[in-house]
Amino acid sequence: MGSAVDALRQNMEEALGNGDTRFIINLAEVSMIDSSGIGLLVRFLASSKQRGGNIKLVQPSKFAVQTLRLVGVLNLFEIFDNDDAAVESFA
Amino acid sequence: MSAEFRGGPEDSALSELLDLSMPANSEAIGTVVDTISENLAHLEVPEEKRLEVALSVQEALANAVVHGCGNDPSKKVRCQLKSDPKGRIVIIVTDPGPGFSPDSVSDPSRHENLYVDHGRGVYLIRQLMDEVHFEHGGNEIRMWKY
Repeated sequence: MGSAVDALRQNMEEALGNGDTRFIINLAEVSMIDSSGIGLLVRFLASSKQRGGNIKLVQPSKFAVQTLRLVGVLNLFEIFDNDDAAVESFA
Repeated sequence: MSAEFRGGPEDSALSELLDLSMPANSEAIGTVVDTISENLAHLEVPEEKRLEVALSVQEALANAVVHGCGNDPSKKVRCQLKSDPKGRIVIIVTDPGPGFSPDSVSDPSRHENLYVDHGRGVYLIRQLMDEVHFEHGGNEIRMWKY
């Protein structure tokens, strides 16, 4: 909710507009994800996949993982312990 | 006794810990959530429960701001924190809007809804809290954590 989600939305829209399709989102400093953040993630995941890309999540907190699981979207995302592993998964 | 069912004990049995009022502006939500969380920390509520309450309060306030007040910052959203004699807490969020029917909320975990970008707030609250009741036609939500 609020400025963090707005900033992510703006960045993702710009990146998709520039033709980028493969994304890594590092959530290490995000204590929790609310429904507006989840909505944004799944919307851009769909957009990325439609263009042949994907969104990989890095270091989500235990509570963020629990929240994604509760609303049934956890399995839509690949999750990694660090940025390098996420990058390599795109190779 | 009130003819309208309320979850948990009667209001007279509850101790008021906080009574906050905020403008219907999404930027104001964080301050209220932080204040609630700090009070729960003082009450020695475990961190896991504090996170569950914080996210639920954030969702309830966001719904009140957007749906209850139409993002009109001249309108006010009220947020109360109370406890009962057993130490259980309840957060009550009230907005001046027309309310809504909680039964009309769809299940976001259904396959056809997974990629929908809205409609998860009330579902999340129900998953995270121990008891949830809507009052006054839906413009007041009472969220219990035991």
